[in-house]
Amino acid sequence: MTEPEGPVRDSVPRARPATASNVAATRPQPDTLADVLERVLDKGIIIAGDIRVNLLDIELLTIKIRLLVASVDKAQEMGIDWWKRDPMLTSSEADVLEENERLRDRIKELESQE
Amino acid sequence: MSDTGRYLYAIARGIGGEDLAGIRGLRDVPLRLIEHHGLTAVVSEVDLEEFGEAGLRRNLEDLGWLEEVARTHNEVVHAVATKAPTAPLRLATIYRDDDGVRARLEQWHDALQQTLSRVEGCMEWSVKAFTAARTEPSPAPESTGGGAGTAYLMRRKAETAQREVAAEEAAALADEIHAVISQQVVASRRLPPQDRRLAHYEGTMTLNGAYLVDDTAVDDFRSAVQQLSAQHPDSRLDLQGPWPPYSFTTLDDT
Repeated sequence: MTEPEGPVRDSVPRARPATASNVAATRPQPDTLADVLERVLDKGIIIAGDIRVNLLDIELLTIKIRLLVASVDKAQEMGIDWWKRDPMLTSSEADVLEENERLRDRIKELESQE
Repeated sequence: MSDTGRYLYAIARGIGGEDLAGIRGLRDVPLRLIEHHGLTAVVSEVDLEEFGEAGLRRNLEDLGWLEEVARTHNEVVHAVATKAPTAPLRLATIYRDDDGVRARLEQWHDALQQTLSRVEGCMEWSVKAFTAARTEPSPAPESTGGGAGTAYLMRRKAETAQREVAAEEAAALADEIHAVISQQVVASRRLPPQDRRLAHYEGTMTLNGAYLVDDTAVDDFRSAVQQLSAQHPDSRLDLQGPWPPYSFTTLDDT
C-alpha cells in the first residue's frame, strides 16, 4: 500500500462505475479488516433470526480474544504482529510475570512461617 | 443433502433482481430477493452445517473464516446500498426459511421504513485523525558525573508531562475536527478509536468518525475535509468511503 502525497489519503475513485457488477473493482484500496469488522460486527441492524448466535456475547469475548491472542499463527500470516512491536504490551507482560514471581515468593514466605 | 438456511445481508426499498446482476453471495451462491409490503430482503442460501448455530459458534472463532464472511457480507451490502436505500444487517443473521424472513419484515416494518427514509440518498463516510507517533526521547544531555542520574529523571519527567499536554491538545483538536465536519453532514457518530492490533497505523488515532453524507454533497464534504487537513498540518486525516450506512441504521429496539 502506498501513501500518496499530502496528509489526506483519499481512497475514493472520482467516478464510480455505473454498475456495481464488480464491487471489489470499485474500491481500489481494500478496506482494512478493522474497518470491515467494526461495521459488520458492531453496527448494522440487529434482528434476531431463528438461528442466531448472539454476537454480542460470543464475538466480543471469543472472537476478540481469538483474534488478538489465540490465533497467533494466522494473525501473523495476516500481518497482525502487534505484540512483537508494542513496547507497552511487552513491558506490561514482563511486569505481570515479575509480579507473579514476587507473589509466589511472598506466599512461600508466609507458608514457611506457619 | 444437508439443511439450508437464509442468510440475510440487508433490507432495502425499491431494488430489483437486475440491480444485483453479477453479485454473488457467500460461497458464490446467487442472491435472492424476498419482498414483503414494500421492503426487500436480500438473502442467499447457506449450508446449516457451516452457518447453523453450532457451525457459527465454531467458525466465528476462525479468523480466516470470519474475514472471508465479513468481506463478502460487506461487498453484498455495498452493492445493494449503491442501488437503493439500504439497512445493513449485522453479520450472521440467518433464518430457516423465507417465511421466517417475511415474519421479521412484518414485525419490523415501520421501524425499517423510517430507517430507510432517514438514509435515503446518503452513504456513510469515515474520517480518521491521527497525530504523529510518540515523541522520540530527546538526546541525552552531556553527562557531568554525579548529576547525571538526577538529570535523567528530570528529563523523563519533563517528557511525560510534554506527552500529556500533547495528548490533551490532540484530543481537543479531534473534537474540533469532528464538530466542524458534523455541521456539514446529515448525521454523525464517533466510533471508538481502532485497536492498533487490527488496524495498522502510525501514531495515535484521535478521531474515528462516521458521517452520513448526502450523495449530492460529497464534493463539498471532501473539500471540507481537505480544508481541515490544510489547517491542521500536525494531524493526518484519512478519508474513506463510501460505506453503506452501517453506523446510521442501528435500530433502538435491540
